[in-house]
Amino acid sequence: MEIAFFIMALIILVSGIGVIVSHNPIHSALWLVANLLTVAGLFANLDAHFLAVAQMIVYAGAIMVLVLFVLMLLNLKTERPSSASVMAKVVAAGFGIAFLWMIVPLLNRSFEVFEGPAVGVQGTVKEIGKLLYTKHIFPFEFASILIMAAIVGAVMLSKKKYRQ
Amino acid sequence: MVPVSYYLTLSAIMFTVGVVGVVVRRNSIVVFMCIELMLNAVNLSFVALSHYLGNLNGQIAVFFVMVVAAAEAAVGLAIIISMFRAMKSVETSNADQLNG
Repeated sequence: MEIAFFIMALIILVSGIGVIVSHNPIHSALWLVANLLTVAGLFANLDAHFLAVAQMIVYAGAIMVLVLFVLMLLNLKTERPSSASVMAKVVAAGFGIAFLWMIVPLLNRSFEVFEGPAVGVQGTVKEIGKLLYTKHIFPFEFASILIMAAIVGAVMLSKKKYRQ
Repeated sequence: MVPVSYYLTLSAIMFTVGVVGVVVRRNSIVVFMCIELMLNAVNLSFVALSHYLGNLNGQIAVFFVMVVAAAEAAVGLAIIISMFRAMKSVETSNADQLNG
């Protein structure tokens, strides 16, 4: 069972680097879709069944499709965009590696006494629904207001002429 | 079972890759995609720890992070479209004036 984790982790790392390295933004979007689908696979590996499907439907199926729509609407391939200088890229990558150098041993040391529980908690739709509707009912209802505010905001921002 | 620190290490690496992407890239849409990469790394941390602690509240948190990410995607892309209409470009180095 562990080989599945290592294969998916490798795909996640390669596609993550592909997002930031690709020159064409559509290639970056496609690498990100591969990343999101593989993270959904990791969720399924961790018994989070509802979240695995929700990740595929919402993230890879709605958000990335929206991003690709916008990319193809804007049709950006006419000019070659300037990128940061080589020195800036080296410094940024250096900071990233330094941060990881400090954080990863700390994570390994802090969590090395954790063993998996005897029976993993099953994140099925039934269990998540029970929690969402009893203990987290207020954030759940507030999330619907948040989505409505986002819809109104997106429509207002896309209008051509701003009328009172 | 894989130790939980493997999942957390993977999440830390993905988060760092997202941060480096936000700093280095100049295209607004690619910056937005690197923000989504960071949010995914945090989601992975939440789900891994929820599994290893036997507590479902971590997965509820991921649910709400996804809701917020979807709302942010809609509004952020609307802002990018408005920026393109005003400046004919989505490069961040062109957006250097507050009024116009």
